[in-house]
Amino acid sequence: MIARALTAALAALALSGPTAAQDFSENSEARSWNLFAEQPARFEATVVDILCEVTGNCAGNCGDGRRQLGLLRSEDGVLVYPNKNSQPAFTGATVELLPYCGAEVEVDGLMLDDAYLGAVNIYLLQRIRRLGDETWVSANRWTDDWAENNPDAAGSGPWFRRDPRVLREIAEEGYFGLGLDRDAEIRAELFP
Amino acid sequence: MRHNRVFAAFLALSSPFLLAAPAFAEGQRVQLRGEIIDTWCYFSGVMGGPEAVVGSAHHTCALWCSAGGIPVGLLAEDGTVYMVLQIEDSDESAGGDTQMRLASHVVSVDGMHYERDGLNYLVVSEVVQDDDIQVLSHDDFGVVPPFAVPEDAP
Repeated sequence: MIARALTAALAALALSGPTAAQDFSENSEARSWNLFAEQPARFEATVVDILCEVTGNCAGNCGDGRRQLGLLRSEDGVLVYPNKNSQPAFTGATVELLPYCGAEVEVDGLMLDDAYLGAVNIYLLQRIRRLGDETWVSANRWTDDWAENNPDAAGSGPWFRRDPRVLREIAEEGYFGLGLDRDAEIRAELFP
Repeated sequence: MRHNRVFAAFLALSSPFLLAAPAFAEGQRVQLRGEIIDTWCYFSGVMGGPEAVVGSAHHTCALWCSAGGIPVGLLAEDGTVYMVLQIEDSDESAGGDTQMRLASHVVSVDGMHYERDGLNYLVVSEVVQDDDIQVLSHDDFGVVPPFAVPEDAP
């Protein structure tokens, strides 16, 4: 009797454990990015400071935007790493998640699962809402946030062509990062 | 005997749940050498294969992604990617200056390694050596993505 009960519990754990690949695509409305390893994924989670969650080194308000934020998935306790927000503009997910620090949320987006490259539980966040809220919030605030914080960089063209820090790095080391002289040589070779 | 084996398996499988709250991973001190990469381009393949999104060809894109708050990683010599959570005194893993200045650089680091749910995490205690950009990927790939370097740049 005991063995039978333990065997049943064992089977349940094996099927539900954090290491088992799970399908969270049900009811997802995530848009495809046509990525090799993408899977739609909609799930409930708590927004956490990853440095705190992994190492115990915690900061107030999840680091106030300095630190990467994660999604501690409610169903299985897995720590999901949102690398990307929904904008096709070289932008991460922390700005989108920070208003929900410590909160229980529901998210929708794309999960990457490519063990060959080590991409496990990597997530592209497309929309988010607090548990109990009706309205979804699109994960596309990054560029507006950047514009508010960089009023002197106003102008036309995408943010990454105008970002002062990026421009300073390129001015010092070139587009290829190998120094200005070598940079000019490479560009002359590539764009004769 | 059979009961013992079943019970041992039960304990092994259930331990992550029994220890679930709060479960800080146990860190191990490591010395690693590798390139500071943009993890989204590397993992997603959105800009091409893994060889195309490292080094000089991809440097401007790596700057954009780092400034944009995309996590950086350390691509170690054995191919393992470590998600970098902190570099020395800087916990600015979401777009900080320290990580951006190291974009595409090959570095030797001393730090603490943690594993959690299939990902490797790294807290860098010290950047022991910074060898700048070593992977001259522009020889094979030109510019990745092609629009990263304006043809009419001064």
